[in-house]
Amino acid sequence: MSAPDSPKRQTANAPRKPQAGASTHKISLKDRLNGWAQQHQLVAVETLMRLLTKPLGSIMTWLVIAISLTLPGAMWMTLDNLSQLSNRFQASGSMSVYLKTAVQNDQAQQLLSRIESMDGVADVRFISADEALAEFRASSGLGEALDLLPENPLPGVIVVEPELALPQQDVIALADTLRSESRVDSVELDTAWLDRLHALLALSERIVWVMGALLALGILLVVGNTIRLSIAARVDEIRVTKLVGATNAWVRRPFLYTGLWFGMVGGLVSWILLAIGWALVSGPVEDLAALYGSEYRLLPLSAGAALVLLLGAMLLGWLGAWWSVVRHLHRIEP
Amino acid sequence: MPMVRFDGVSKSYPGGKEALSKVSFELARGEFAFLTGHSGAGKSTLLKLMLQMERPSEGQVFVDGDCVNTMKSSQVPFLRRKVGVVFQNHQLLFDRTVYDNVAMPLLIAGYQPAEAARRVRAALDSVGLLGFERRNPIELSGGEQQRVGIARAVVNKPQLLLADEPTGNLDPELSEEIMKLFLRFQQVGVTVLIATHDIALIERMGHRRLILDHGTLHDSGPRAGFERGDHVRT
Repeated sequence: MSAPDSPKRQTANAPRKPQAGASTHKISLKDRLNGWAQQHQLVAVETLMRLLTKPLGSIMTWLVIAISLTLPGAMWMTLDNLSQLSNRFQASGSMSVYLKTAVQNDQAQQLLSRIESMDGVADVRFISADEALAEFRASSGLGEALDLLPENPLPGVIVVEPELALPQQDVIALADTLRSESRVDSVELDTAWLDRLHALLALSERIVWVMGALLALGILLVVGNTIRLSIAARVDEIRVTKLVGATNAWVRRPFLYTGLWFGMVGGLVSWILLAIGWALVSGPVEDLAALYGSEYRLLPLSAGAALVLLLGAMLLGWLGAWWSVVRHLHRIEP
Repeated sequence: MPMVRFDGVSKSYPGGKEALSKVSFELARGEFAFLTGHSGAGKSTLLKLMLQMERPSEGQVFVDGDCVNTMKSSQVPFLRRKVGVVFQNHQLLFDRTVYDNVAMPLLIAGYQPAEAARRVRAALDSVGLLGFERRNPIELSGGEQQRVGIARAVVNKPQLLLADEPTGNLDPELSEEIMKLFLRFQQVGVTVLIATHDIALIERMGHRRLILDHGTLHDSGPRAGFERGDHVRT
């Protein structure tokens, strides 16, 4: 918060010589610090009560702050869920390892057991050239035409299932390792669509940040303006307090606390809005997931993100108040 | 060291109007003096200079040994805590009780609530308003409001008490009562300077008089008990 009322200074200023004037009461430093802490507490409670007992004046400000926070908060929640979901997609990406045609079945079996022992591999399956041809014959209906071929043109294939939890870059690294095997002709890994999805998510995240920054600026302006009005309404009080010896810090304090409370109440209301939004959407999402045979559940805002939201809101409220106080308070002198 | 010292102080406002012209005087500690003169003679300006509500164009103002006009603005609050001020329009806040009005200087100075409460009651008692704590100042009569203002000015036991037309709106009887109140504070050691144009009242009460006439100062009246430190050089 703002600087203390420099208790040291006053003691330094206090006259040491015997006085003809009224006896001045000396206050110890400890009492001063206690008084200062109590003063903060008093101002904090008083400003909160002022807001709560006259909520009509501040309700618009609270709502504007809450909505400004809820928009990026909701987008953040959506992105968080999408990236969780995309992680599942990526895990299901198996790869096809095409062997060179010269590779014999027993050599293929050796490679198979070696791949099986590799890190991050969950399952391997070998499809020999003959099996592949049989499969192709059955599915393509080109049976007789295939008989005309002098030899089987199809290579043997090893289908590798990476472990579910394997991150995408490790899946790609695994594919690269397999590609470098001497008996491997090529490895096919369909990650292009995943790459696109991730790029899209990264872009959306950037948009959320930009939007968040603009809305944060909006909160600063709204709190700043509200505090400006409340300074204007308390000009007399500020004059009188300065006249009886209030420091600038003392005059600033209630306004800074007011800004802090604006941010906090706005943040809490935003929590409520996000929770309502989550409750409204999570049911249909589960139904949708069930139709795809998935048990996916919509994640609520994480505790960390919620805390960041609240503290960020309080910081913004305080900064908005500070900005307004610095601009307007010095003009009010007795 | 005198409580107040003005040293060749002039104050002119933009546009060339000179409110004070080479004013020099001293107020000894514990002295009681009236500051008088026609309206617009510069009484208010002179008082404001002691609180750094205004700064002189020329010369120097000392309060309790500190040079007020060169004082850093961060020090001004601590100067103002040493000086109690009473205004003609009393400057009370009507959105709070008498108690809260009087307690304000104590809260600002960082007093514990219990100690503050004791002092507020003592201050209200000294102006005869004990029992008025919970009232709103707007319900009170002019004289009572003025006394609340005085209680607020003295609650922090200032060394110097300034009053700007404290009896301006009051009838003669009430005025005298208020003046007697100021005298009581002087008797316990407070230096008191009262700006007023109520000549009749001043005549009755005696005491030292500083007379402002178009910005220049003349000194007159008895200076009982003060041989040094209250000479006037103008």
